[in-house]
Amino acid sequence: MSNGSIISSVIRDTGPESVKTSQMAMAEALRGTGLALDDLRYVVATGYGRVLVPFARDNVSEISCHAKGINWYFPGVRTILDMGGQDCKAINCDGRGLVTNFIMNDKCAGGTGRFLEMIADVLNTRLEDIGDLSLSSRNAIPFNTICAVFAQSEAIAHFRKGVAKSDILAGLHEAIATRSLNLLRRVSVQPDFAITGGIAKNSGMVAKIRDKIGLEPLLCDDPQLVGALGAALFASERCAKDGAPGMTVHYGYTDGTGDYFVAIDSSRCDGCGDCVQACPAGLLVLGREDGHRPRAEVREGARKGLALLCPGFQSCSSKNEVNCHSVCSRDAISHTW
Amino acid sequence: MKALGIDVGSLTTKVVMLDGDGSPTVRITPSGDEPQSSAREALEAVLGQPELNLDHEFCVVSTGMGGKMLPFPHQNKAVTTCLARGVHHLFPSARTAIDIGAESCNVIRVSDRGRINDWVSHDKCAAGTGVFLQKMAKVMHMPLEAMANPSLPAASGPEISSTCAVFAESEVISHVHRDPPTPKEQIIAGIYASVVSRIMILCKRLGIERDVIVVGGVALNGGFVKILEREIGFEVLVPETPQMAAALGAAVIARETLAKGAGR
Repeated sequence: MSNGSIISSVIRDTGPESVKTSQMAMAEALRGTGLALDDLRYVVATGYGRVLVPFARDNVSEISCHAKGINWYFPGVRTILDMGGQDCKAINCDGRGLVTNFIMNDKCAGGTGRFLEMIADVLNTRLEDIGDLSLSSRNAIPFNTICAVFAQSEAIAHFRKGVAKSDILAGLHEAIATRSLNLLRRVSVQPDFAITGGIAKNSGMVAKIRDKIGLEPLLCDDPQLVGALGAALFASERCAKDGAPGMTVHYGYTDGTGDYFVAIDSSRCDGCGDCVQACPAGLLVLGREDGHRPRAEVREGARKGLALLCPGFQSCSSKNEVNCHSVCSRDAISHTW
Repeated sequence: MKALGIDVGSLTTKVVMLDGDGSPTVRITPSGDEPQSSAREALEAVLGQPELNLDHEFCVVSTGMGGKMLPFPHQNKAVTTCLARGVHHLFPSARTAIDIGAESCNVIRVSDRGRINDWVSHDKCAAGTGVFLQKMAKVMHMPLEAMANPSLPAASGPEISSTCAVFAESEVISHVHRDPPTPKEQIIAGIYASVVSRIMILCKRLGIERDVIVVGGVALNGGFVKILEREIGFEVLVPETPQMAAALGAAVIARETLAKGAGR
């Protein structure tokens, strides 16, 4: 995000290697924007693998991120049903997008996206089509089980007997919707009500839930991105509070003769250390604030007497072809004299 | 006078016939999509008759998930009742029966007369059942019989979900594809530990008393039995054809009925 709007987004299957996937997804999101990873001021990670993301500065739980994200789209939402790949959550939030209550099922695949994937697979139908297909049914088959494995066997048995796919799907969607309703009943169901997660794209599921809850579910364009959007919003907030990244640090002083400052733009500096090597007077070092990557700075002892130790850019560069400015590929360093 | 027990399970249908001299004839057949016709065929095969002609010389007791659906049996009994009887017939010293079938598991406290003292069942989901192990064998790219080898499981393995077969499957897949992959002996140990952990929850609710007998198709899995024994802390009894226990119990009840002269 930049200035409060989304500039790029990506959705990928996580697969077994979360770290690699996170890196590839980020690379894909940056492509076409003209930005590099280092241009990003703040990265917040969320989701099951949130602690694994190597380039994230912080991580925030996906429950908080969903509430935050949905609040951006629909500030009136007070109840969220999030149905993802392997879990199902019911969340209450306030007008600022902060979580007030939640309950989650992540112990059982019944009632999650996984369940629907298995059914689509077994009925040889595309996941994108099962929702609409279920809606065309006139005669839903009741399913007594919530177990994805048993339901799959039952579905196969019905299918082999010649029961229409639409009827099987309608029955399964009904069973899952009932399960979602049970989850929602354990938090408070208040308007406005939103559905997030991949399942929000399933028209059949949305219709059944609407019927059971009695509220029109609000849906955003990309329901799977709500968590990531919330994380981006947290990143914006924290970045604004922070100040340090993105700030240019000035070392030096002003005296009667003028201003003598060396400025290092820490949002540009990538900590490569070339300037440290290049400075003929050895005035630069790499410093590291906790949690941040290393950045160049004027060494402690040199700051008060800077103009005595550093001749200034003009003088230095005329004598030294290699100097702090010349080696800096990011153009992060500058002198006032 | 022939006493017949028929156990219509979710995966297989078992028929046991007890002759006058008490030696059982057994038959096991897949239940398939039409359990009624599979059951009928199995009964006919056991009786050696092309068409089922039940008269007062026979008594048929049915049990199992599909037991009630059959039109011909004389009685239908709960599977736990049949298990208690069957287990007692096999091992009169048995006091606890652990039955793990394709889609259900039961733990039963058995009296010294083969009656139920207490029981707990789990048939709401695939965790802790035979289907779970079938799925895992597929993920491990091994035939289930090979995975059942008792020498395979390692001393310990990774924690695998014991509450959901679907999630456990993902976890096992990630172990198989990890770099470097988790050794298969450890994964197998983890898989069995997951099922055992589920069973132990049921056992702890009831309390276990020796002798403990394990029945149901999963009892054929030597690897699983080994891990169970490790967890329980002592040896368990496993009959030669553990899947037949409930059908045998049903046949025993049928014989008792014939003996009482109730017949039909």
